[in-house]
Amino acid sequence: MAISKEAYQALEAIVGKEYISADPVVCEGYRSGPGGYECGLGYERVMTKIPGGIIMPKTTQEVQKIVKACNRHKVPYVPYSTGWYGPRSHCHVDDELLVDLKRMDGFEIDDKHLYATVESGVIYSQLQEEAMKRGCYIIVGGGGSQCSAIANMLGDGWSPLSYRIGLPHRRILGTELVLPDGELVKMGSLATDDKDYFWGEGPGPDLRGLLRGFTGLRGCLGIVTKMAIKLLPFQPERLKPSGISPHTTLELPVKRVKWINFTMPSKDSMKQAMFEMAKAEIGGGVTKVPIFWRAIAKANCKEDFWDIWSQESEESIANFHLLRVLLIAFTCEEQMEYEEKILNEIITELGGEARRTRPSDESWFKNADSAGMWLMCGSYVSVDYVIETLEHAIPHGENYAKLKPKYTPPLMPDYGDPGWFQSFELGHQGYSEFLVYWDPDVDTNGVDFFYLETSKENIRKRFYTSLLGPHQPLYLTGPAYGPNYHTWLLKVKDEFDPQFICHPPVPLAHDAFVEKAEWMRPMKDWESPEIPGS
Amino acid sequence: MLKGKVKLDVTDLDNFEYDMSKCIKCKGCTWVDHIYMPGMTFSTRCPSATKYLFDSYGAYGKMRIGTAMLEGRMEYSDELLKILYACTLCGACDVGCKRNLDLEIELTLEALRIKAVKDGKGPMPQHKKVAQHIAEKHNRLGSPHANRNKWLPKDVKPAEKADVLYFVGCSAAYTSPEIAQATAKILKASKTPFMLMPDEWCCGNILYSVGMADEARELAKRNVEEVRKTGAKTLLLSCAEGYRMWKVDYPKLLNISTDELGFKVVHLVEFVDELIKNGSLKLKKKVNLRLTYHDSCSLSRLSEPWTPWEGERGEWGMVSPRLERRRGTNGVYQQPRDILQAIPGVELVEMIRMKENAFCCGAGRGTREAFPDFASWAAKERLQEVKAIEAKAIVATCPFCKENFAQAVSKDGEKIKVFDISEIILAAI
Amino acid sequence: MNRRDKLVKIVGVENFTDDPKALETYAKDFSLQPAGVPDYAVKPKDTQEVQKIIQVANDHSLPVVPVSSWVHFYGATIPKKGGIILDLTRMNRIFEVDDFNRRVRFEAGVTWEQLTSHLAEKGFRVMLPLLPHPQRSVLTDTLEREVITNTVYDYGEPLQSMEVVWPNGEVFRTGSASVTGYPDSPSKGGNPAGPGLDFYRFLQMAQGTMGVVTWANIKTEYQTQKDKVFLAPVKDLNMVMEFLYRILRIRIGQECLLLNNTDLAAIMAADMKKEFASLRSSLPPWTLILVISGHYRNPEGKIQYEEKTLNEIIKNEFPEISFSDNLPGLPGSGEKLLGILRKPWPKEITYWKNRYKGGCHSLFFITKPTLAPKFIEKMESLASRHGYPEGDLGSYIQPIEHNRACQLEFNLFYDPTSRPEVERVRTLASEAAKTLLDQGALFTRPYGELAKLVYDRANGYAVTLKRVKKLFDPKNIMNPGNLCF
Repeated sequence: MAISKEAYQALEAIVGKEYISADPVVCEGYRSGPGGYECGLGYERVMTKIPGGIIMPKTTQEVQKIVKACNRHKVPYVPYSTGWYGPRSHCHVDDELLVDLKRMDGFEIDDKHLYATVESGVIYSQLQEEAMKRGCYIIVGGGGSQCSAIANMLGDGWSPLSYRIGLPHRRILGTELVLPDGELVKMGSLATDDKDYFWGEGPGPDLRGLLRGFTGLRGCLGIVTKMAIKLLPFQPERLKPSGISPHTTLELPVKRVKWINFTMPSKDSMKQAMFEMAKAEIGGGVTKVPIFWRAIAKANCKEDFWDIWSQESEESIANFHLLRVLLIAFTCEEQMEYEEKILNEIITELGGEARRTRPSDESWFKNADSAGMWLMCGSYVSVDYVIETLEHAIPHGENYAKLKPKYTPPLMPDYGDPGWFQSFELGHQGYSEFLVYWDPDVDTNGVDFFYLETSKENIRKRFYTSLLGPHQPLYLTGPAYGPNYHTWLLKVKDEFDPQFICHPPVPLAHDAFVEKAEWMRPMKDWESPEIPGS
Repeated sequence: MLKGKVKLDVTDLDNFEYDMSKCIKCKGCTWVDHIYMPGMTFSTRCPSATKYLFDSYGAYGKMRIGTAMLEGRMEYSDELLKILYACTLCGACDVGCKRNLDLEIELTLEALRIKAVKDGKGPMPQHKKVAQHIAEKHNRLGSPHANRNKWLPKDVKPAEKADVLYFVGCSAAYTSPEIAQATAKILKASKTPFMLMPDEWCCGNILYSVGMADEARELAKRNVEEVRKTGAKTLLLSCAEGYRMWKVDYPKLLNISTDELGFKVVHLVEFVDELIKNGSLKLKKKVNLRLTYHDSCSLSRLSEPWTPWEGERGEWGMVSPRLERRRGTNGVYQQPRDILQAIPGVELVEMIRMKENAFCCGAGRGTREAFPDFASWAAKERLQEVKAIEAKAIVATCPFCKENFAQAVSKDGEKIKVFDISEIILAAI
Repeated sequence: MNRRDKLVKIVGVENFTDDPKALETYAKDFSLQPAGVPDYAVKPKDTQEVQKIIQVANDHSLPVVPVSSWVHFYGATIPKKGGIILDLTRMNRIFEVDDFNRRVRFEAGVTWEQLTSHLAEKGFRVMLPLLPHPQRSVLTDTLEREVITNTVYDYGEPLQSMEVVWPNGEVFRTGSASVTGYPDSPSKGGNPAGPGLDFYRFLQMAQGTMGVVTWANIKTEYQTQKDKVFLAPVKDLNMVMEFLYRILRIRIGQECLLLNNTDLAAIMAADMKKEFASLRSSLPPWTLILVISGHYRNPEGKIQYEEKTLNEIIKNEFPEISFSDNLPGLPGSGEKLLGILRKPWPKEITYWKNRYKGGCHSLFFITKPTLAPKFIEKMESLASRHGYPEGDLGSYIQPIEHNRACQLEFNLFYDPTSRPEVERVRTLASEAAKTLLDQGALFTRPYGELAKLVYDRANGYAVTLKRVKKLFDPKNIMNPGNLCF
């Protein structure tokens, strides 16, 4: 069975022959795995399917028509901007339509009012360059510069630069959302003036609440076709691209932008440094550097990485405390001198020492270096990442480090590295992320177990987590957070997607996975009703 | 082969199972290196993905399709062949991927075509015609073999024996003789004796590129032997495609390293750059032109020498022995620029996508023969960049590029001049 | 048990009233909204009591109007359909001040005066809107997104996680306070987002229609160590808008705002009878107020580089700007003004908006700063057409986040005992709202009659909003008659 002829014809009439295909070769090209974020794991193998068809709309109106046609003909569909996020942004059921949004590459920028309006096909490095040309900057989310800016703003949207540019939710302005039933809702200033995207709130209660839920609904509550994103003022000097692949980098104008690495005597001193910086209100970014990032940066190939990594030990990891600080002289050059002096004062008080640091950026301004995460093993997933406070961030990572040995192998040995943490929103928040790697060509069930185990651990230990909603079994996390956030989420989902055709069976996909995958079933120790798609 | 013995041998797709299965869909193969991302325009460097849009036409799509082919899950169809062949094998994907990872995308794409030919499904009908021409007349155009040296200007006499052998190539011999003539005159002006092949045959670039590896290998064996017989120390080319074929793909087909050919393979720009820097050639005549330089793919990204490799892949996907991967870093990027900047009156302005980020002209490696519209489209895309920087001329190092740009310019009535670098160098002597 | 008895049982008889005289207090406020009388008023002491009250309301389909303080300006808490006033003023605990993470958690009934003085003792502050009424609820003003006077991006959007009682009586915690057992958890409640949906967004600017927020975490900031006030007279608003685009973009300044002479005189006059009129006429048409501050380490250094840059810009690009540290002819006024800006309005003095004539209707909206002068001109012309006394119009421009936008507020002062004045202001406000909306003013907080105007224009948004509201409040008991509900 494929997408019915009738449905196909209706869809073809919307975009034209050239922009729709059900050809099996074309569809195979949209397979989720076997490589990619979270790929090769059980979820990807069990839950994803080749699309039944691909369609590429150009405008919001076309998207609306497509969604309405899907509703009429009961065709399940999933929105797809780059397909980068891995299995969770691919088709999950047979004969599903994949709505490839790459043709929607509309872009406008109003740097005077510090926002850019983008469509789903625009990626971060494009937006960042346009912003920087005009003396502004954005956060390129840790997902990488290849992310669709909209998709990442909906589900992620932070990096070490979030020390200043903070919570991604704050940076979403006027937005267009095509609801799962095909209705279009315009948010913020668009609600009353459908040409003006400059403001995000209202009117009245803020429907941007439907967009994210911390880290996104993976497209199961509609398709965002256009969004205005805040730009933040930067500084006037150019960051000059230089070098030839693979050693390309941005040369920093050091009187205005500077990274400095510091070795610190302890983890606690790093935390204190972040605290003191926030108190002094200096800095443009600050993060702990996990040691394996350094190994990746030094390695010329996979084997190099392992040469370097195999020199490490639990002791070396436990004693490695590298703090990386970004200073940005937003106002004038004197600000750099002022902040650097205070920074050095803080570091000296805490017993740290500056290291020679290249006056360049490879990783965070334009090229958030996420693709490099696959160098070591050919696989990667973050089993958790969460914005909370610094006091939450540190034990959160340490906790996973204790849990991880049980699942190593197949997880890559990391000698107890407790993950990455950094300061956010000028110290009001803290961030932690725990990244794992494994050899995808061996038995990977252990990774599936670990992934779910982290969710249970969070519940046991009362940690917050971004992996709620569609990312973990909803009936596991639901009762533990809110409580019962899942009941509201499902009510909203039922209201706007009564036919359950917008990216089914998300947000219940991980529940379905646990039911379907026989090696996962023993892990189910929570109640749930029958899960569609399981 | 995911673990165990593996070789960089394109005649067996199994050697690239690991590479295909580890593509992470970051699309670094399509986007310009993010560090160099120029913004909303000129953001991509894969012509296939940019024109055809469906993911299947980008390397990420092809890797997935390739996995399906290897696993016997994919039936051949017109669409599959189009996906495999509407691609210039320009190497942008390979370089883009290797910025971060160790995957052999270019070799995989070559291996997919070889498989298609082995399976009796490829290449495209137009390529089969080219193969027939080469077999019958030793040139890809089907022109009389006897006319191959007709390009020679009267005032240039090749030597009977010399250290330098100028390999002209089908394009310069038949369709772009001005390139061969300029090259010969440059050699004469620099007092460099050179010889020609006693009987020059097509280098087989299109044969290899479309997957006809056996035929290409036969040609390689023959051609290498013929050059060795001449005792030439240096094989000089003014065609980027031919250059790549001799320097990289001949050793690949013959399972030897570039060094083991027995002679150096050098492009005109490398040769002239050295002459200028050692004072043997002076470019004194003014050439008043605001021009831009187009990095022909085969001279730039794809031009690093070849070393055969075989070994084992084990834990975490590591290979042994250690493999020094060709990432496009040491391609011939700077020499042509240095030459142009040494010419008085020349104002060299760079296009937005340059060096390893260059956007392929769309013609090479069999693409124009089978997909002329695609080739024409790609050339026009590139010419938009020329206009964006207000250059009056575009200069390339390959007759494929020149012919394709020239055709696009004349079709659209553009006012951009199209040159091969040999013509500019000659004008400055 | 009847509903009355049920309510009494929950809160105790001393915290319940259905006495008409007592209920009158809730029937009107400082706005022009017509009076609306509730059936009951109850004062719960904690979340559990709130829950029970909501359950009773649901059982009996009784509207519930959450009221967090006794001072209201916009009519949002005047019952439109009777029901229960949920008076949260007893819920006034400050639970914790978190030094390390710069956060404070407190109940809905905590006032500005209470919170700011509590934090000041510990060296902290919260960002203030312009001169908030000391008796108003901090939580409500934060939820309703009163615009703060400080333009530093990092201080913005102070709301973090919250506890809410949904209209069906369920207690729920938003953001990172949603972990089981909070606050006995590693999670401190610093993240407003999630879980699952961004519930906090539904509750913002909701005028109590989506649920009852019982407590919230908000960001605190350190008190500044040193400040310098800059005051400039302004005639040419267009020029000063360009100046603000220039300096706020390079992050100069903390508080930054523009007040016209009427507003500023109402704020600064020590004795209204004696000083207001002369102050109003002696003040320039507009005054730009800019504060530069230094923090814990080397505060002078920060002030120094910002001031140097400011002066360079003025010298090279905006020579018409002339800053001084006082208002013309008023020595010490700069310091005085800074002190006023950093605290709620003093409770012993009549609220500044009510000082002039007793009544004040505020019309405020968001716009792009470059458009502010045009709106002001329009408003002045409308005022004139309606016979509104020239010079009586108060105007206030509040730049937001590097001047990406601003809030423009018009204060229409009137004598509430004078029927003609009340009517004039009512009709002027009504026509002004329509006209300004037509010209692109963005009313994000549509109180009272504005709601219909705005939602008629934002019909698609209203339809979706109602669908969401229906899920949380199927019986529409939460403050019905407000917004589009």
